[in-house]
Amino acid sequence: MTNYLRFLGATLSLFAVACHASQDAAKPAAAPAAKPAAPGAVSAAAPAAAALPHYSQTAANSALKFTFEQAGASAVGTFRKFSTTLVYDEKNLAGSSLDVRVDMASVDTQEQERDGMLKDADLFNTAKFPAATFKSSSLAKRPDGSLEAVGKLTIRDVTHDVRLPLTVKPTATGLQLSGKFAFKRLDYGVGQGEFKATDSVGNDVKVDYSVSLAKGGS
Amino acid sequence: MAFRNTTRSWGSLSKAFHWLIVLLIITQWLIAERADELKGLAKLEALAWHKSFGMTVLMLAVLRLAWRLMNPTPDLSQETKPWERALAKISHFLLYTLIFAMPLTGWMMSSAKNYPVSWFNLFQFPDLVAPAEQTFHQMHDLHHLLFKVLVGVALLHVAGALKHHFIDRNDVLKRMLPFGRVK
Repeated sequence: MTNYLRFLGATLSLFAVACHASQDAAKPAAAPAAKPAAPGAVSAAAPAAAALPHYSQTAANSALKFTFEQAGASAVGTFRKFSTTLVYDEKNLAGSSLDVRVDMASVDTQEQERDGMLKDADLFNTAKFPAATFKSSSLAKRPDGSLEAVGKLTIRDVTHDVRLPLTVKPTATGLQLSGKFAFKRLDYGVGQGEFKATDSVGNDVKVDYSVSLAKGGS
Repeated sequence: MAFRNTTRSWGSLSKAFHWLIVLLIITQWLIAERADELKGLAKLEALAWHKSFGMTVLMLAVLRLAWRLMNPTPDLSQETKPWERALAKISHFLLYTLIFAMPLTGWMMSSAKNYPVSWFNLFQFPDLVAPAEQTFHQMHDLHHLLFKVLVGVALLHVAGALKHHFIDRNDVLKRMLPFGRVK
């Protein structure tokens, strides 16, 4: 009987390993932080940003999703409240900029107990750090022609230089801004106490955003 | 010991399925009791084990049912009364149903709560239902109700096996024991 059990175990684990491998392959690469600027990204000194078109987030068609790992499974949550301002001129990327402010207490993982835990001191600590921000100084073109925002991401009280990939598409009413990036939650101190361990709550967080922007606003 | 069943006794693979699932169900009950007392990460970890073992039960249940359909089922002894046969048939049917229904309702509970199911951190099962608090509560209640039914039917099953062994003195129990031999 032991042999059959062993056979059963081996079959199950082979299946498991195969699935795991394919999952790994599907993971997008993390956005490299503090990479040197792409050559040719900045052509001329930027004129005053005020002269460039401003866009701000509209109520509809905007979503900020994040994927987190817990107990070996990944789940998706969203932030219900966030605001985005884009100064954008495709001919003047150096003078363009992106500002995002996320209301951390608006976190929604479709489960109230977990949302409460996220807002507590060990994780977001929303009482002390109500907002996460991304402030870019410029946009730039990557060697492959895609866009990225060069700036500072602040979560809790920790700030890092990051380059966030983004796509800007014209719509009937303005622009649709979207992109995906990944970061490590512990780089920003999201996880104090028992949450410093990453075996139950993974360190990798993936962000997927799509923001509808209309011309005007601040 | 034969790998396959015969009309007189269970083969070793059928026995392995039976006892492995028994052990897993007892483990599941102990983990669930413990998890109820825990909070935060410790609860998350305990429930991760519960889910991994539960999905193992489900996978074993699929293999077990397939194996049962591919094999002869040992007959009850000639002296078994019709009402005993009927009761045995009903309880076996219920037990088979429950080893599918318990993991499936648990899986739906997880999906409804947006706590997707991983199998020992190796791979993730897709969600069965969309996250919704009401679905979670329905599945939670059903999972608990089914557990009570499982305990009841399992006790009846054990009582039946003991009656066969000690009162009727036939080999119905012996032929399912891991190292039991049937003349």
